[in-house]
Amino acid sequence: MSLVSETTARPAAGFRVARSRRNVAWTGAAALIVVVVLAFFPYIVYSGTTTIVVQAFIVLTMASMWNLLAGYAGLVSVGQQAFVGLGAYFVLILALHGISPFAVLPVAAIGCGVVALPLWWLVSRLRSGYFAIATWVLAATIMLIIEKFSSIGGGTGMPLPGLAGLSPALLTAYTYWAGLAVTVVALAAVYLLLRGRLGLVLTAIRDDEVAARSSGARVGLARLLVFVVAGAGCGAAGALLAISQLQVQPGAVFSVQWTAEMAFVTIIGGLGTIEGPILGTAVYMVLQQTLASYNAWYLIILGLVAIAVALFARRGLWGLVDEHLHVRLFPVGYWLRRDGERPRGLRRPAKPREQRPG
Amino acid sequence: MTGPLLELDRVTKRFGRVVIAEDLSLAVGPGQVVGIVGPNGAGKTSLFGLISGDLAPGAGEIRFAGRTVTRLDAAARCKLGVGRTYQVPRPFGDMTVFENLLIAAQQGGGLRRRASYAAAVEALDRTGISGQANVPAERLGLLQRKRLELARALATQPTLLLLDEVAGGLTDPEVAQLVEIVRDVNAAGTAVIWIEHVVRALTPVVSRLICLAGGKFVGDGDPATVLAEPAVREVFLGTEVTAALAGGSLEAGSEVKGDGAVGGERSNP
Repeated sequence: MSLVSETTARPAAGFRVARSRRNVAWTGAAALIVVVVLAFFPYIVYSGTTTIVVQAFIVLTMASMWNLLAGYAGLVSVGQQAFVGLGAYFVLILALHGISPFAVLPVAAIGCGVVALPLWWLVSRLRSGYFAIATWVLAATIMLIIEKFSSIGGGTGMPLPGLAGLSPALLTAYTYWAGLAVTVVALAAVYLLLRGRLGLVLTAIRDDEVAARSSGARVGLARLLVFVVAGAGCGAAGALLAISQLQVQPGAVFSVQWTAEMAFVTIIGGLGTIEGPILGTAVYMVLQQTLASYNAWYLIILGLVAIAVALFARRGLWGLVDEHLHVRLFPVGYWLRRDGERPRGLRRPAKPREQRPG
Repeated sequence: MTGPLLELDRVTKRFGRVVIAEDLSLAVGPGQVVGIVGPNGAGKTSLFGLISGDLAPGAGEIRFAGRTVTRLDAAARCKLGVGRTYQVPRPFGDMTVFENLLIAAQQGGGLRRRASYAAAVEALDRTGISGQANVPAERLGLLQRKRLELARALATQPTLLLLDEVAGGLTDPEVAQLVEIVRDVNAAGTAVIWIEHVVRALTPVVSRLICLAGGKFVGDGDPATVLAEPAVREVFLGTEVTAALAGGSLEAGSEVKGDGAVGGERSNP
């Protein structure tokens, strides 16, 4: 995550292109420290805490994928629970065949990515509300199909086998580390995807699809790629969910509540930024842990938070941070500096006024 | 390449009963600069949509650089060398001006990273928006948005540049600058098709003028000849302009509007 500068020598005018307005090498170091500290959590905190953090990992992974879809590719999916459920069932089915659930995690992610291909074919021509409803219908259809198979628990589901040999402490720790690994890989994948050429394409598609096409962007291909990556990510989160809950119930893993959580977390954190879902997850988990016992009030307060953010922080909470502190933990933009030009200050450039003679 | 760069062969496009292109045939050679005039609703922008791939024709064939592109989408045609601007600028608002140009250079121009940086910087310098390189495009004013629109089309490294009323709303000195940019681009071998109401912007650079009305070509040839044709006067200019043309004021620098009015000084709405 260090500052990458690329200098291009030109005979007429030299310039330098950086990926951020300011040196952000420290954020890379800080991220590394955070990951190392988190890796040691099972040794230093109670298992109840690691269980909560695993929940946060699941929510963050799912929200990062939803953010990629809605915040970059302009695809507002209400059916991402399809991949959460499929990821959980990949784990269950392979565990029933004697394969360790932890070993199945990457298989579940890849499997969900593969399943996303034919599903994309079904929904790719739809936009906005139609796309949202079609993805929701797909998720419900997949759940209904899976419920038909009594060998994997039918409509009631079944406990996850293959983990009985592990002590509770070890199982909690393994689950935690698996969650940490899934989250780090998911965030790294999103970051690398957006930092590469595809990042510009996705942002352009979100801003103006027609202009993106006439600038040479392969909109369909970019959206397909995002849908597949988001499917794989949500599949990994679903697999982690199955392992953390030690059972798979179709009504629970295919619940639309997962997509509601993804959307809530992303929108309050900041849609269209990598940092948004991280901040949103932190806020959501704090609210959940402090208010969950208030039942209905908990949901009312969540709703009020969403309304407040929509009214007073249109770019989400991270938007406020960015506006005031000008910090980007994951710099994906391009910053041009001409030779001999002084680095610009950190103030956002003022909106230029039209200057016209006469 | 010896043949035409762009060929339209009996291209037709209808939206229900509304005909926006009827049996249009056109050939534009490499390096040629063609102006297109016509009243509002004549089908000028739709013609650009058909050429750039934003619109699919109902009938007919479109060839570009020797290959049939009728079924290719806008992205594929852009990669082949068709760069276009939009009448109402369509910037990528959340991206900086420099990033707007980078995506065009990388995707449309097919340039790798460092080459795309150089192409974007060149487009910035050419269109005079270097000072706004790191400004989010949504913060630009209308005139700068128009410059960005042109810069983005140039960054795709086009062999055919489609300009859709880029001079609208510009002052005389700005029009002169724009004409210089187009001349410069054309001198490097890029063919240009330029839709414009501001005739004074077209006349210094175009070698051929086409008049479009009701989805049909009603005049095609040398600009002075086309503007003098009775059919063009009747369909496009109206009787008042006919009188002005007789006095030679149009060539001196006038704006021709779709409703038949002529503005002698400025084109600003």
